[in-house]
Amino acid sequence: MARSGKITRILLKKDLLFALYSLGYYGVLFVSFFASSFILKSFLDGIREEDILVTAFPLNTYLSIIIIIISLYLVLVSAISISREKEQGTLETLSYGPVTPRSFLLAKFFKDFFIGIISLGFTAIYFYLVSSLTNIGFTPGLIKALVMGVFLVSCVVSFGLFISSFTGRVRSSIISLIAILGAFLVIQFTYNSLLGIEKEALSVPLFYIRQTLHYVFQGINWISPFAFISRGLDSVVLENWPLFFTNIVYCIVYSVIFIALSIGIMNRKGVKA
Amino acid sequence: MIQTENLGKEYDGLKVVDGLNLKVEKGDIYGFLGPNGAGKTTTIMMLLGIIPQTEGKIYLLGEELKPRNIELKRRIGVVAENQYLYREMTAQEYLDFFGEIYEIQNPKKRIEELLEAVGLKDERNKKLGAYSKGMQQKFAFVRALLHDPELLILDEPVANLDPNGIKQIRDLIEEENRIGRTVLVSSHLLSEVEKLCKKVGIINQGKLLVEDNMDNIKRRLTDTIIMRIELNQEANSLESALRQIPYVTTFNITGNKLDIRLKTDRDYRKDLSQTFVDHGFLILSMQTKEMSLEEAFMTITHQNISLLTRREN
Repeated sequence: MARSGKITRILLKKDLLFALYSLGYYGVLFVSFFASSFILKSFLDGIREEDILVTAFPLNTYLSIIIIIISLYLVLVSAISISREKEQGTLETLSYGPVTPRSFLLAKFFKDFFIGIISLGFTAIYFYLVSSLTNIGFTPGLIKALVMGVFLVSCVVSFGLFISSFTGRVRSSIISLIAILGAFLVIQFTYNSLLGIEKEALSVPLFYIRQTLHYVFQGINWISPFAFISRGLDSVVLENWPLFFTNIVYCIVYSVIFIALSIGIMNRKGVKA
Repeated sequence: MIQTENLGKEYDGLKVVDGLNLKVEKGDIYGFLGPNGAGKTTTIMMLLGIIPQTEGKIYLLGEELKPRNIELKRRIGVVAENQYLYREMTAQEYLDFFGEIYEIQNPKKRIEELLEAVGLKDERNKKLGAYSKGMQQKFAFVRALLHDPELLILDEPVANLDPNGIKQIRDLIEEENRIGRTVLVSSHLLSEVEKLCKKVGIINQGKLLVEDNMDNIKRRLTDTIIMRIELNQEANSLESALRQIPYVTTFNITGNKLDIRLKTDRDYRKDLSQTFVDHGFLILSMQTKEMSLEEAFMTITHQNISLLTRREN
């Protein structure tokens, strides 16, 4: 067990250094800060015109934008992290030695998780600077959202790794990720559209479709990491501590389940593409 | 060192490896041969625990190979058919990384020695992506030997090398074997297997046809031998006489020299000598033409594959 932990640390060190030397990562950070700043500027212009600001969480919306962009990056990176090494054969070479699917997958998880945490660190610095420059408060709500962000990152990464564990090539990982997230969106959109129609106006087949979609949607709420992001950030704004901690527990349970599933799939499918 | 019991692998109902019983003893350099698609690489992948077997057991270094038996893998070095390296790392970074994984104490000296042995010492700071295929192949040996493994498993180890590289690797394998490492080599370069291996196993259609030492394998691969004979005078007049002899299958006469293919069911040299004397010839020399493993292996075809499985008299 201790030796397996050591192997995980060695793999993590290598992967983390490579990730931190990659320009793509800093590009994504720049894009997320830029998008957030752009929307924030419109907001500040609005305040200047109205001359009034009444909100307990003035920066949380912009934090949400950054968290979503970083999450999209992390889910993509983690979704290709295992399949890329399968495709390149480097996972096979590692498997000739004492590297197990578990130590390999945990290294990948912690690499992307730490990348997420480092991103949240940069985000905290960014909002501190924004707060200093604009005089908009760096509120406890923002700190709570950043803390929640750590657990949301864990959900996103474990979901991405799950996709990567059952795909053997980078292309199929990306296609699977887009297909699954796209299907979630389509179901959500269709369900919301049907919800907008009066019950009496629905034909019998449409009624049953809506009922079915209701259950599917409930399921997606516990599968999609982006549903966890939405619930987690809502719990911050609602200022409900029990709900906040419940969401953290949900995130931890979600991550553990998806990592365990990924390890199981890797053990079963092997290390070849 | 390596033992398999009824090892089998099935893909969609098709048996790729069937009831394989391999035995590689400590100190052997064992050649694992077979035509393309015979099941060699699948067997090696099972020995390495990369793909699970459908049936049978594998024992490596006296222990049964099980998915959780990771410590066993620390005692094995592998050079696979394809070299999957982290192309963005330098050779030195890569070896340091594997040194950490295998928990090698003070790996610097070992890295230096091995890079020197394969002629890559001056290329250590180059990115692996810039290495040629041959260099990658040699570099894979450095990684495989880095942790002083007791057992080396090599799949087509000299496939991408030039003659000089082949010699370097052959010397390295022989040196490692001399200091006690057991080696399993799967290769299509039969001349190399012949030079290196003490024992050979031949697999076809997933089944081990024969496992024996090199000389016996050569003998079993054919039911005829070629005798090269030199006579005291031109031998064309012997043609009709030779055609009459039932144990002579084919012959070729060039002046006073003859290549005669004889059946191997018994020693016909005495009978053949008598025939020449009866026709007024004197024998200046008579020798059996040695068959290389390459030539012997060429005879593994569907019609004569039964030769390998027959019982020796």
